[in-house]
Amino acid sequence: MNDGRDPFLPGASSPIARLVEAFHRLPGIGPKSAQRLAYHILRTQEAEAQELADALIEVKRSIVFCQQCQNLTSRTPCEICTDASRDRHSICVVEEPLDVLAIERTNGFHGLYHVLHGVISPSDGVGPEDLKIGELLARLRDVETEVSEIIVATNPNLEGEATAMYLARLLRPLGIRVTRLARGLPAGADLEYADDVTLGRALEFRQEVQ
Amino acid sequence: MVTGRIPRVIRTPAIVLRHRRLGEADRIVTLLTPGRGKVDVIAKGLLRSKSRMAGHLEPLTLVELVLAHGRSMDVVTQAQTIDAFPAIHSDLDRLSAGMYLLELADRITVEHAEAEGLHDLLHAALVRLARGDGQQVVQRTFELALLEATGFRPELTDCLRCSESVAAEAAWWVPVEGGVLCASCAKTYPEAQPIDATALRVLRAFQSVPYEEAGRIRLTDELAARMEQAMHALMRAVVERDLKSAQFVSAARRARVAGEASEDTETAKDD
Ligand SMILES: [Zn+2]
Repeated sequence: MNDGRDPFLPGASSPIARLVEAFHRLPGIGPKSAQRLAYHILRTQEAEAQELADALIEVKRSIVFCQQCQNLTSRTPCEICTDASRDRHSICVVEEPLDVLAIERTNGFHGLYHVLHGVISPSDGVGPEDLKIGELLARLRDVETEVSEIIVATNPNLEGEATAMYLARLLRPLGIRVTRLARGLPAGADLEYADDVTLGRALEFRQEVQ
Repeated sequence: MVTGRIPRVIRTPAIVLRHRRLGEADRIVTLLTPGRGKVDVIAKGLLRSKSRMAGHLEPLTLVELVLAHGRSMDVVTQAQTIDAFPAIHSDLDRLSAGMYLLELADRITVEHAEAEGLHDLLHAALVRLARGDGQQVVQRTFELALLEATGFRPELTDCLRCSESVAAEAAWWVPVEGGVLCASCAKTYPEAQPIDATALRVLRAFQSVPYEEAGRIRLTDELAARMEQAMHALMRAVVERDLKSAQFVSAARRARVAGEASEDTETAKDD
């Protein structure tokens, strides 16, 4: 089956090594997990492997960016953007498509979205020009826009903060209210171990106990 | 004979420069330490919501760490924030400037190279930004001090080619060579750029006077922008790559100026 080399060795030119490599490139998959997944595929029926391969190709061929919110969708404008029951006065700006799903699960927001596809992160080589910020401005400058509030829901870290503050600065001249998700301590956190910024914010945005 | 590694645990202050994901929940954190320069360490379980270390290992934070010796990299076992510089985080101009200082310190230093005093230089600059010192002065003096400490001190007074001293009015700027040329030497150098005489004079002053004195020099927005342009070009040449954070500093300022301009028109309309 092989020339005596370990078929799972990275860099080996066997089909298995190629598959391991491919899995290893996926986010969050280490070398061990990549080997386990490859071994799992080896043991499955060919039809099952074919189904996975087809699904991969299908998703690449049929999914596009929504021309309005930039979310990934099979048709543009997407389902949310065309849903007449949604509130057109507010747009929630998120980093990634998965964040839309997370906010939808809360059932607490009924406006529209805008997906930036990243966050300002100079150390990763990402600046404002690499994000879908121009597309957001174009939406807001549209004469027919009804948007009066932008809720910036980027992550509560350095890059998320920088992105939120930059957006606020860009949007202020447009006369649009820009808000940020209130940041509290994560559930289960100890005050004792909380860092100062988080604790400070949690205090600043404190709410009345009902 | 026992040749095993000596197990060790060290306690050190550090400034967090950046981090990147490692596997499902871990992170590789890049630090600038006083004793060992720039080092990468592993922080385990940082992406789990109950991690007690997560908030303490964000970039632009001065932390006190306990590091355990690991096979390829040291592992963070305890982290405690000393200063999270909240005043920097509360203002976009300061924040983008802070990100720029971090990227510079990161790009200019080689891992484990004990560039003397870099940690202290960066710490001092962050403290100055946080207490509201002029951002232009903080950034320019940091750039110059960083270049000095890493052996890239720019030549701002004598021509790089003929060594004659150059009047600010007659100087040409050559970022890739790290300094100025006199007018006649610049003729044979296509990459030479004109540089504003006042901008060059102030940069010369920043290079030679203590920080407190530099801080007393008043800069107009226009002059500050010219100095920034010249120094960004120089830093780009030194680290041999685009500095995204430098572009972000400029983008943030452009957005502020545009906002102020539109406020002025609003006020004018109200009158
Ligand atoms: Zn859409």
